[in-house]
Parts: sequence; C-alpha cells; structure tokens
Amino acid sequence: MSANPQIIAAHDQILHFPKGSKPIIENNEWLIWSGKNSKNKDEGANSTLPDLEHSKKNVLVPFSWWIVHHNEANVLAKAKAGQIGVWFAADEDILKHADMIEQGKTLWPVVAAHFPIFRDGRSFSTAAILRNRFQWTGEIRAIGDVLIDQLLQGARVGFDSFALRPDQKTDIALKQFDLFTVTTQNSWRGKRSLLEA
Amino acid sequence: MYKYDHIDQTLVDQRVAQFRDQVARRLDGSLAEEEFRPLRLQNGLYHQRHAYMLRVAIPYGLFNSKQLRTMALIAEKYDRGYGHFTTRQNIQFNWVTLEDTPDILAELAKVEMHAIQTSGNCIRNITSDAFAGVAGDEYVDPRPICELLRQWSTLHPEFAHLPRKFKFAINGAKEDRTILLCHDVGIELKKSPSINHGELTADIYAGGGMGRTPILGSLIKTDLPWQLLPSYLTALLRVYNRFGRRDNLYKARIKILVKALSPEEFARQVEGEWIHIKNGEDNFTKAEWDRVAKHFTKPAYKSLPKLSNEQVINTASETDRAAFARWLERNVKPHQIPGYASVVLSLKPHGSVAPGDATTAQMLAIADLSDQYSFGELRATHEQNLVLADVEQSKLYELWQEAKRQKVALPNIGLLTDIIACPGGDFCSLANAKSLPIAKAIQERFDDLDYLFDLGDISLNISGCINSCGHHHVGNIGVLGVDKDGEEWYQITLGGEQGNDAAIGKVIGPSFYADEIPDVITNVINTYVNNRSEDESFIDAFRRIGVTPFKEAAYKNKDESTKKKEKTQSAGATS
Repeated sequence: MSANPQIIAAHDQILHFPKGSKPIIENNEWLIWSGKNSKNKDEGANSTLPDLEHSKKNVLVPFSWWIVHHNEANVLAKAKAGQIGVWFAADEDILKHADMIEQGKTLWPVVAAHFPIFRDGRSFSTAAILRNRFQWTGEIRAIGDVLIDQLLQGARVGFDSFALRPDQKTDIALKQFDLFTVTTQNSWRGKRSLLEA
Repeated sequence: MYKYDHIDQTLVDQRVAQFRDQVARRLDGSLAEEEFRPLRLQNGLYHQRHAYMLRVAIPYGLFNSKQLRTMALIAEKYDRGYGHFTTRQNIQFNWVTLEDTPDILAELAKVEMHAIQTSGNCIRNITSDAFAGVAGDEYVDPRPICELLRQWSTLHPEFAHLPRKFKFAINGAKEDRTILLCHDVGIELKKSPSINHGELTADIYAGGGMGRTPILGSLIKTDLPWQLLPSYLTALLRVYNRFGRRDNLYKARIKILVKALSPEEFARQVEGEWIHIKNGEDNFTKAEWDRVAKHFTKPAYKSLPKLSNEQVINTASETDRAAFARWLERNVKPHQIPGYASVVLSLKPHGSVAPGDATTAQMLAIADLSDQYSFGELRATHEQNLVLADVEQSKLYELWQEAKRQKVALPNIGLLTDIIACPGGDFCSLANAKSLPIAKAIQERFDDLDYLFDLGDISLNISGCINSCGHHHVGNIGVLGVDKDGEEWYQITLGGEQGNDAAIGKVIGPSFYADEIPDVITNVINTYVNNRSEDESFIDAFRRIGVTPFKEAAYKNKDESTKKKEKTQSAGATS
C-alpha cells in the first residue's frame, strides 16, 4: 500500500470525532510505524525508532515493540515528551499486559488499534475493552484498512479518531455519523434509545 | 405480536437510507465489490448463481397478514411470482436486482420488516419455536426474550464483523422444535420456583452447528437471570470475536473455538469477561420487559368448549371424513386454549418445485386465511411450512377446504415427504449438487399417502453442499450433494435427529448417483418396515437395530447400478 514499507498507509489527515463533539478532519500529527525499518528486516522487535526530527514528530509504535523497548532511555525520554503512543495488533491479547496498559495511561497521548482488513472486527472488541475495562479516556485511533462503512461501528465501540485508508473519501466519511438517530444497544457514545416514560 | 415503536421504525427507515447510499456507491463504482460484499450481506443480499437473492428477516418466525401481502407483492413486482421460506424462518426472493433492492427494503420497512443481519458474519436473525405462545407443551413464552434480543443484536457495533456467522435459537417448550443444540448459541428459557425466586432464567448452550464439522452445543451456563442476558452474551461474543479463528473459513465458527478450548475453558473465559460487565447498564430492565411483553399477550380468544377429535371429524361431510381425519392427525397441533388448535399449512406438495416455496397467489390467499381464522397472524417453521396458530376447532373443516384449494393442505407434516431442502445447485453458487430434483424425485416415489401414514414420523433433509443449509446432519435420513471430479454425487447419512434427542447422523459409505437415490431411500425404508416392532418409529428402530441392516440395504443394488452407469457413460463417450 505504502511506498514506505515501515509506515502503515493512511490519509495525511485524520477524521477526529471526540465524544460529544462533531466529527472533523484534522492534520495527522502521528506517524504510524509498523516496527519494521526495512524490507529486509522482518523482525520488528529489534528495530529502532524512525527519525522524528525530519518528518512527523510523534510516533505510534507497535505494542509488541513497546513491550521490548519501553525501558530504554531514548524511548522513555520520547514517551515522557508525549511523542510515543502504541498501536495494538488485531491479534494482540491486551488483557495479558494489563499492568503495562495501566502504566501507559499516564504516558501515551494516543493509542490505536489496527484493522489488518476491514472485515476483521477484533479491534472493535479491543477498543471496547480499553474503554470499559481499562477506563482509557484518551484518544483511540482506528488504523489500517479503515473504510467509510465501518466508521459508525468504530465510533460506537470507543474509537474517536480514524486514520482512513488513503483511497477513502473524507466528505462521505464525515456524513456517516449522522445516518442513525436511534440505537438499540448501549455504546461508548451513549445509552440505547428508550421510549420516554 | 410485536409492534414497532418509533425507535424501531426510525432505525429500519434509516437503515434503508444507509443501504441506498451504499448501493449507489457500488453502482457508480466508488465502492469495490469486495468491500460492498459484507455490507450487502449484512442486509441479506446475496449474489447467487443466476441473480441477486434477498433474504428477509421474519424474527422468530412470527408475522402478520399485512406483512405476508407485502411479501406477495414484492414477489410479484420484483421477483418471479414466488418466495421461498427457509429453515431459519426467513423468506428469500431469488431473482431481485441490485438496483431494486433499496426500494424493496423501503416497502418492507412500511410493514415493520427488514433484511438486517439475515446474512453476513454477524448475529443473524433469531429463531424460535414456531408454536411459541400457543404450544400445549410450553412452559415459558420465549417471544419477549426473542424480541428483546432482536433489538439488542440489531446493528450491534462490536459484533458487526465476527469471524463467521452467528446464530441464536431460543426455546421455552418441553419439546425442542428449534434444534437448539445446532446453534452457535442456544438459549433454553426456564421458570422454576426453586431458581431465582421463580423468575425467568436461561440456560446457555454454546458451540453447536452443522456444516463441515457438525457438533452439538455444550451447556456452559445455567440459571442466568433473564435481565443479564445482554451482558452475558456480550462477554460470550467478545471472547469469540477476539479468539475465534480467522485464518481458515472452515474453522472460524464458534463450535471450533469451544471444541479447541473445551466447553469448560470457554465458559471460564466468558465468566472472566462477564465479571467486569455483569453489573453494567447493558442489562435488560423490568421497564423494557413490560414495553415488549405487552405485545405478546393472548389474543381475544372466545370461551369455547374443547372438542374431541371425533367431534371435529364429524364436522366434515361424510365423503371428506377420511381425508380430513388424516389432515387433523398430521397438520393440526394441540393448543393451550380449549376449543382452539394450531394448523400447519404444508409448503411441500408432492412434485413441488422447491420445498418452502409459495407463489404470490398462495401468499395472498394464506394472508386471507390468517385474517379469517387466526387473528391475522402466521408463523414460519424450521421445516419450511407455515402455521396458523389460533384456529377454532369448529372451523378446522372449513379451513381445510380452503387450504386444499390453495394446495397447502397435504397431510404430510413430519412424514417422509415433508422434506427440508436447500436451494442447491439450481440457485446457490456454493452448491456442489442439486437438491430440488432429488426432493422432487423422492416425493414422486413416495406419493402414496396411505403408505406415508403407515411409515409415520421420518425426517428427510437434503443439502446441496457441505455447508448443510438443508440440515442433512439432523435428518433421520440425510442426503448430501458432493462433487467428485465435476460430477454430482449424493452421500447418505442415517440416524440424525432434531428435538430433545438431537443427534448428528452417520455417513453410511460411498455416495450414489442422483438417479439411484429414490431406490436407495426405498431400500432404507423397506428395511425399517421389515424390522420395526409395532408403533416403533424409524429413528427408534434405527437406534435399536443399528446402521448395518440399513447400510446393506442401501448398497444392495450399488454394484449393478454403477456398472450400468459406467457402461452408459462409455457408450456416450464414443458416440
């Protein structure tokens, strides 16, 4: 997808839809780093952070990479400066690393969950768990194969920003959130519609 | 029956608008087919062998005459003049166009219907007992729970892209008419003074299903208070969503996960998740129960005397009595209210095009019958028939005469020719073999009603491929179409059963050619007739004497027939 294999492709802008506000298109300040520095180096765990001096200054790193590197001085310094967030792979069992996520709540400005393909719904549950189990109140970004037609579901389970796949039309994307005025289950955004007593 | 409030109506109307936009984007090319596919499937739209097929939801099988008339008109206006009732209590239209689909959905929305989640990797239309609310053996009317869970599952955001399809069945009667254990989740409702102060509770079975790897569900939770169903099911689905296999389509169903983990471990993981959400606000409230349950009160039954079978038979003219009695025996079921009965209209006339099909004319006529005889309500059954649930016993004869005129009065309910069959290779793009001509050939072979009556209860189910939409695994006799080197063959399973003693049938051996099947079935049936003791059903005889005599009979003519076939083929090849 991307000319640069170390980056997960997305629009240059993100769709930001904070709870209680209107959805808007914003500049994306975050590099979504795949953890792999070159085509020849498949082993992401040992790779080094991309250059944050000459491109975007913040980076979302794979959670698996964070687990290995989070104690390194350079990484810790950048994290403390608010430059590092993590993204969870679809098959990441985040409950196995509950302590690290609790700790991350004080460090990461943004976390993300990855959609390897749009019809893989695991990251919906990841976001739901982050919101209602870990009480994560910061931004959760959907990254990867993020298409217009899954925005509504994403917004309801707990995502509040979306790094759309580059071919997606942002004007259509913005309209998705107005399609329904009622719901029949509770969600992170609000309670289900009930008849007034 | 349930009536939409403004929330339900707004939701289906907005869903139509959403899908209209998605279709428009597909038609102008801005939405690729691969990306449109899961969207259309979640709205019941398949692309079949010849055309688009739209599967419309009939939640828990309950609908009314107005809705049936709309289905009839959709069949007339947008299809080829018929609809097909399915084993999961839905109706399918086989010949719709993509362009027309939003308009069809808009017509459906006007009568409180939709096609939401009748397909796709999401929570499918919830099925239940076709006799819910009227069955003589019912201890809990499951419909309020069905409806609450229909609402809870409709457009559920977290479970919109599960590893595979996900099917609920809900039962509240002594006899299971839902094949509960063949569902991803089966919910058995109970009410007992000794449990939860006599409040409604649920036992949860998980990991059942047919298809390539048929498995019966396992009990994973008992005595769950009904209010906690949403949180418990959220936990269950969350575990499945996260850990169900996505690497292999054939191993993605929850049954594989439950089997791999063991039911005990799966249950433990669900509990582990549930403990964090069980006290949350997802649960149902008394107010919600009241809102929904008020729609499932009893209709305005008259105070009538209970008639004996003999009295009912005597309402018929003398010349009709024998035939009418037969219909009473097979197609009329006991009712909770004295003086009433439930009637099954057979959509399996012998030699029919497809089991479960109804023409526009039939649908319109049946809608009238429901108005006249059954408070304007109907039910679709798992066996692909229709039910008028609330008929006065004294009017059964009149109804029978009308039903005969519409060719829906064949007294074959539960008999060998009440065949469940998938659409097979005539329609379905997944099928390896045809189902419908096989069903037709069997019905033609066993066209003698006296003989069918003598044989008694036997279920025969046919699937055109391993996905087993025809539920061949749970037929006493199952027929499965298989492909061998581009040719259609048919494999026989015996000993399957639905109901309380649900069982998965066993494959008896190598498969047969299509034209051998009527003989094979005849041989199997003869084996039963020759071995049965008095009043012993097919399945009981099978369980007593075992598969061997049936198997030997089935293959009796096999060598000869194969040789004959080979000879014909080689002659054909050289001519």
